[in-house]
Amino acid sequence: MISMKNIWKSFGSNQVLKDVSITINSGEICALIGENGAGKSTLMNILGGVLPADSGTIYLKGQPVQFANPAESLRAGIAFIHQELNLVNDLPVFENMFLGREIRRRGGTLDLETMMAKTEDLFKRMNIDLDPRAMVRDLDASYKQIVEICRAILMDASIIIMDEPTTSLTEPEIKRVFQMMETLRDQGVGIIFISHKLNEVMEICERYMVLRDGELVAEGQVQDVTPDALARFMVGHDVRSEQLSRVMQIGNEILRVENLSHKHAFRNVSFAVRRGEILGFTGLLGDGRSELFQAIFGADAVASGKVFLDGKEVRIHSTEQALELGIGYLPRNRKENGIIKDMNIFENATIVTWPMYSKRGVIDKTRQEAIFARQREQMGIRMQRLTDNISTLSGGNQQKIVLAKWLAARPKVLILDNPTQGVDVGAKEEIYDVILALAEEGMAIIVLSSEAQEIIRLCDRALVMYQGHIQGEVSGSTMNEHDIMKLATGGILNAG
Amino acid sequence: MMETGRKTGLSRLFSPRWSTESHTGTVVVLVVMIILQTLVLGFDYDSVGHWFSAWGRNWINILRNNAAIGIIALGMTFVIITGGIDLAVGSTLVAIGAASMMMIDIGPKGFLGNLGVTGPFAYAITIICAILMGLILGALTGLLITKGRIAPFVATLGTMKILRSVTQHFMQGYNPRVPRDFLQISNLQVGGLMFMPIIYWLAIAAVLIYVSQRTVFGRQVIAVGSNERAAQLSGVNVDRVKVGAYALTGILVAIASIIQVARIGTMDFANAGSGYEMDAIAAAVVGGTSMRGGRGTIIGTVLGMLIIAVMNNLLNLFGVPPFLREAAKGLIVIAAVLFQRKDNV
Ligand SMILES: Nc1ncnc2c1ncn2[C@@H]1O[C@H](COP(=O)(O)OP(=O)(O)OP(=O)(O)O)[C@@H](O)[C@H]1O
Ligand SMILES: [Mg+2]
Repeated sequence: MISMKNIWKSFGSNQVLKDVSITINSGEICALIGENGAGKSTLMNILGGVLPADSGTIYLKGQPVQFANPAESLRAGIAFIHQELNLVNDLPVFENMFLGREIRRRGGTLDLETMMAKTEDLFKRMNIDLDPRAMVRDLDASYKQIVEICRAILMDASIIIMDEPTTSLTEPEIKRVFQMMETLRDQGVGIIFISHKLNEVMEICERYMVLRDGELVAEGQVQDVTPDALARFMVGHDVRSEQLSRVMQIGNEILRVENLSHKHAFRNVSFAVRRGEILGFTGLLGDGRSELFQAIFGADAVASGKVFLDGKEVRIHSTEQALELGIGYLPRNRKENGIIKDMNIFENATIVTWPMYSKRGVIDKTRQEAIFARQREQMGIRMQRLTDNISTLSGGNQQKIVLAKWLAARPKVLILDNPTQGVDVGAKEEIYDVILALAEEGMAIIVLSSEAQEIIRLCDRALVMYQGHIQGEVSGSTMNEHDIMKLATGGILNAG
Repeated sequence: MMETGRKTGLSRLFSPRWSTESHTGTVVVLVVMIILQTLVLGFDYDSVGHWFSAWGRNWINILRNNAAIGIIALGMTFVIITGGIDLAVGSTLVAIGAASMMMIDIGPKGFLGNLGVTGPFAYAITIICAILMGLILGALTGLLITKGRIAPFVATLGTMKILRSVTQHFMQGYNPRVPRDFLQISNLQVGGLMFMPIIYWLAIAAVLIYVSQRTVFGRQVIAVGSNERAAQLSGVNVDRVKVGAYALTGILVAIASIIQVARIGTMDFANAGSGYEMDAIAAAVVGGTSMRGGRGTIIGTVLGMLIIAVMNNLLNLFGVPPFLREAAKGLIVIAAVLFQRKDNV
């Protein structure tokens, strides 16, 4: 239905796409996979009219077409849901749904009632529990994702590009998104689905296309391959998928939280973590785990409760104080909480350690360059110059930068909220190795994740939250997805 | 070590390793205006030496007349980069000026005089007190904005009104006399030229370029203005950075105030410093600082101030009526922003 032929694209001296040709048919869900920086988003940006190709042609129903901007591509029926979401925070959901295609009354005023009604109608049809009047600012990332998908549906798109739509979603929401995708496919819409979660690809896609270093290296029917084979296509060698093994040396208790409560996000949370331990926190959307740890980190106020560090009670009023005490927090939602868009790669990677590596207020750049050079190697960060803007990096590489700034700080307790968001299969294993190594050195690590598999593979034990409190604990080799899901939905495990 | 290629020539000269901003556009505009100004000034002199000395004197005048605002604009740049604004700089300048003049007054009411302190020692105390006053006023403004959660525009609009009106009230019918020696601070002549204010301005600019590019504070200012939540979640004490920016501006206003007092030995408490906030903002914006925060450089602001100053001079040389000169200033600010928008997309 739509095809791209012989697409080339470079940024300066960086050749990003090399003679890529792909086709997407109506009524099919096609996976586009590849390592971080392989060129997936760039290819889709060309299809979506965001970037021009250096050379190559796009054919729509056999006719060559050119998209000078996203609006033209949209008019041709191609809706693009970006990796970094594009909603207007200061408008309510229903106005966002019609952004750029507002419904107007005669006379030109906005017909808010109709837009509202249409949105409500669509949400009902799609079984989405969301108030169209809610401000986008107040929505969690996963709901923003859902709003974006609904917007594409409203626009009657015949091709929908979804660039990593599931990274910040939890299991039930992913299911819901998949249901929406299947409905759309059955209506004849073609969907391009980008994801680093290969099990999702196996579950929802009919066809796959693999990009490596800007070249299309494999494509075919999903039913003919295994996830391991897909991973091999992506990185060019086998990717470890077995249980991680580690030497556990669990030391003294370092962080203890007692009956911590918040105005609304969480209540009565108590737990403790020891040196060298990897403790997981998981649950569904709105379980309050991010709010809990942002409060412990001093970014938000708590209503009541106590926090002990090394046995001494501490009252943390600012993130700066938390950092000085040896607590680190890698936030979720990279675009909003992690990336500082006006700063370059190097500054984004070092901001946390500026105060540590400075003399009389002057930043010691040489020292930080040395540390970053090592991290760059360790995590395989694909970039050009240190002084390039952070936005020139691919999504997964941006995530590695955000992670790097916290690893450089070497805190005593490191809280990682959705740390592998958008990171490819190979790099994920490398990040897991880094986390395990830090734990072996005695760092206490708390991993917040919505991916049950990540929790199971990485953590020694995990607490499952439900509606703002700790619903239960799973631990050791008996951890399994079923138990986690049960707790996460408010159930309890049978003793024994 | 990593960066090579692309940036060359002028833009390389003006684009430090830490910053991703380039000032090519601003520099080009400035150079064009200087050439124009040189042409307008003409070459109607009997020797190159005479021509150069006339040209140089004109320049010294331009720079000296703009030094005070130029210094204030440097602080304003930090404030705007954090995403704030300080409308109170003009009123603060008057308040500090009045207080300093009361201290060194050689009349019967002079504060230090009555304590028996005179001469250079008195001047030093006055300068230190002025700077402390600027620091405190700035820090209080910052606290109002951060802890008090009042929008910067509103908070400083309030302090602007308060400081001006209180100063005028207390200075009614009081005309402090500034000792002659004190005037040397701004009027010291070397070889028949008066350029002390220029030296203060450039020296402070040099220090602040370093501060903004190399220090933790300078870089945190950018981070806070660009993405406040992400900065906070990186362990940056956002409130302290903001208070720091306003306090720094207060100090710079105090220095500007001393320079003003020492230039003519008197101050019109109703009008002095009024409009400075707008001129300082204009300099920052012309120099590439974004009113939305997160972007801007000290070098840019120095260049921006120079552009505005040279333009004033040009309009003067062209004989444009004074009332229309403000319109030209307005136009150049708007042009600068349009130009930058095109640049940044
Ligand atoms: N605006 C830009 N300027 C310069 N280089 C860019 C720009 N956008 C992307 N790149 C580079 O192009 C390459 C491909 O990036 P792209 O975003 O397409 O990767 P991706 O496959 O989507 O990766 P990810 O899985 O991490 O999202 C990367 O090396 C990236 O640094
Ligand atoms: Mg991408």
